[in-house]
Formats: sequence, C-alpha cells, structure tokens
Amino acid sequence: MNQPTQSNQSAEYLDPNHLGPDHLNAYIDGELPPAEQQGIEQHLASCHACTLRVLSATKLKAATSRAGQRFTPLPEALARLTAQLHSQSDPQSQPQPKPTGRIYSMRPASIRPVAWAALAAAILLAISLLGWRQLHQTNTLAAELLDQHLATLSSAATPQVISTDRHTVKPWFQGRLPFSFNLPDATALPPDTTLKGADLTYLNGQPAALLLFTIHKHEVSVFLTQRTTGSTLTALPNTRAGFTLHTATTPDLRIVAVSDINPAELDNLVTSLVQAQASLQISK
Amino acid sequence: MVNAQCLPAYALTLLPRNLRLAEALRTMPSVTTRSADFEQLALPLFASLYNHAFWLTRNQAEAEDLVQETFSKALRAFDTFQPGTNFKAWIFRILRNTFLTTRTGIATSRTVFLEDQPDTLDTIAAGSTPEDTLIRLDNQATLHAALEQLQPQLREALLLCDVEEIKYKDIAVILDVPIGTVMSRISRARRTLRQLLQPHLGESL
Repeated sequence: MNQPTQSNQSAEYLDPNHLGPDHLNAYIDGELPPAEQQGIEQHLASCHACTLRVLSATKLKAATSRAGQRFTPLPEALARLTAQLHSQSDPQSQPQPKPTGRIYSMRPASIRPVAWAALAAAILLAISLLGWRQLHQTNTLAAELLDQHLATLSSAATPQVISTDRHTVKPWFQGRLPFSFNLPDATALPPDTTLKGADLTYLNGQPAALLLFTIHKHEVSVFLTQRTTGSTLTALPNTRAGFTLHTATTPDLRIVAVSDINPAELDNLVTSLVQAQASLQISK
Repeated sequence: MVNAQCLPAYALTLLPRNLRLAEALRTMPSVTTRSADFEQLALPLFASLYNHAFWLTRNQAEAEDLVQETFSKALRAFDTFQPGTNFKAWIFRILRNTFLTTRTGIATSRTVFLEDQPDTLDTIAAGSTPEDTLIRLDNQATLHAALEQLQPQLREALLLCDVEEIKYKDIAVILDVPIGTVMSRISRARRTLRQLLQPHLGESL
C-alpha cells in the first residue's frame, strides 16, 4: 500500500504494526475490512504515537467536513430548478424551449437583478415549494399561479404577444393550445380594464393561456386551462400572500385570475370572460 | 383528456388518492412515477451538489447553472441509473463530467497535475514526531484558506471523501480514476493541509 520514499524510511515507519499514511487514512475513512480495523485498534491500545496521529487525523477530517460545507444556494435557486425539472418531465413541453415562464428561460446573468426583484416577494413560496407539495395540495397550484403572476410583474418580462386587440391575441393561440377560447370585446370589458398581451404557459402540467390585463394600473394575470373530465377541480384559496385569486369555470374552461386588485373588480373581469365564452358556445 | 404521463409530479398530488392509485397502476412505469422517483432521489442532494459545484467553479452563478444542467442531464439519463446502486455517486459523476465541459472546467483540466510527482512533503507524512500532529484547527478561516490553496484535483477528492462521505470506490467512479489514485490524492490533500496548518514557529498551538 505504501510506497515510502527514501527520506522517511525510519525504523518506526517500516514497522508493520505502525500505521502508514495510507492505512491511517483508510482507517479514519472507514475503508478497511473489519479484520484489519480490529488489528489497528489492538495496536492503538498500546501505541501512544499512533493513537495521537489517529486522533489528529480524525480532528482534521471533522474540521475539513465542516469547512467544506460552505456554500449554500440562494433560496430561489431550488424553485428555478424544480420549475425546470417539471417543464422537462412534461413531454408536451419538449418542443417548446423551456415554456414554464419567461423569467426562467432567460440567461441567469441577464435576469438576475430583475429576478431578484420579482422573486424577493416569492422567496417564502419558493423555499417551501417542496414541502407544500406533500402538505397542502391546493397550495401547490396557488403557489404556481402566484409565482407566474409575480414573474409577469418583472419589467423585463415581455409577453410573447403584445396587443390590446383581441383579434390579434386570440388567433395567436391557435395551434399552440389544444383548446380555444373567446375574448371579450374591449367594450365588454369592465371600465378601465385593458388587455395588454398574452403568453403561452404551463400550469399544473397543462398548456395554458396567460392573458395579461391591467385594471387601474393593477396587473392581472388570467390563466385559461382546458377543463377535462379526468381532472378534479382543486379548490383554491381566495387570497394568497396578499394577492386575490379568483376562479371560475365554464363547460370547457377553467379560468383563474390573480391580482392585487380588490376582489370585486377582479370578479367583474372574470365574469366578462365567462360571458365571452358563453357566446362561443352559441356560435359553435 | 388528462394523461397522467404528461403531468409533472406535483400534479399527481392534486388528484384524489383513489384516482391517483388507479392511474399509477394503469400507467406504471410511467413518466410521472419515473420523474417523481428521480426527484425523490435527487432533490435532497441539491444543497450538496450546489456546494460541490461552487468549490469546482468558485462562482455562484456558474455553480447554479452547473447544478441545473446536472439535474437536467440526470433526469434525461435516469433510465440508465440502476436501482440499488449509489445514486449520489451517479449524480456527482454527472456533475463532474458536466463541469469538465464548461469553460472553467476546461481551464482547470488544463492545469498541469502530476499524479506521481515526487512529494517533498513525504518527510512529514511519516508523521513519527509528536510535533507533526500539532496543527491549528482552532481557526476556521485558516482552514478555509488552506482548503483554497489546495490543488483543485486534491481538494475535489478530499471534499468528496470528508464532506460528502462518499466511499473510495465511488469517488474512483466519480473522478474516473483508479482507486489507488483516489487514496493517494486524499493522502496528499491531507498532508498538504497539515503542512499549511502547521503552527508557525513561536506561535502557540
């Protein structure tokens, strides 16, 4: 095991009973077979010098272990990672390069300051993404919704479609989503409510349309997903971290709006969207 | 139609238990259970992988990118992982191989590292005098500085052993070197640390 160089061929070193450096290391690392380990322990019982070396080596190993555990990831790094994994494990999303959210799809160097700002509020959510998954089933979806909404608040997050015109926004989704939906005419929207643009996103593993509205300068994210027979509707909390969540369903769609606006005005917007879907039913 | 295979792991938890069970039985082994299995094994190692990635890259953003890419590759290659073998060693190997393809990794691998260079420290290695066992471990900063002075190849092996508590045979797999090389690197790493931590003459222990 040992290949001692000329300089250290002292009598003690060559004594087979004493521990050579490799043996010493293997011993403190627990790498020796039981028989050899016992042999060393017997030797240590009677050899003060070797015992001191083992003690010192063990102390160094413990200190290295402590000193080596030095760098901890940023709390939001785990959220970014899980988001990436989920988009990756969803086969539908494979053709799309990282569709989970625009904020995650940019190079970290360029988004870092923006992401910090947007995610600072979400840090609490982010850390516990994992824990929630087991503990609170509905919280997962709520967290995902809020996370995506917060991502849209970032100034660097430009929607894929920027348009106030429903005739531009709606056709953009054709072929991108496995379902269709109707958008209310600007006049059918509640007062001071504007459509800003839209994005394709993924929610709960399903493709979703993300519509971005503003109501009196409050940003609103509206997620439209297909209502399917297999899925059970999860009851969402009405508020989360100071944001209002409002859910509505039509025969085909599930609509969830997230915003910091007051619940009544959010309700008006959702209602206008639900009504728009009713006209789709008739026109079919 | 909701296809359970298309749903990520957390979506499963949103389905009621009986439906979940039925789906699981029907579609096993589905993509979903596979990625859930993967997450169950991999996510607890996130902090360890990040710490190790930081030691390799010495840069926070690079370390995070490296870990992301490692997870992504590992998930794609998860089919090749043999259950019952050491998952930690498997994913650390992916981390290291990924690191070697990065700019920092290429630069590191270019630095000359002589595996069997005659070690002048061997005189201390014999460790037959009591003074050799005296090292300063009272000061964490000194040890940090000493670890940073280690050659990357030595530090890497030592951290896998002492911090990650991975067995020599698995470290050999991760570093893609013979087990004897692992032992000599760990041995040299500790010798070097010891020398760097030797109390200077006249200083108290």
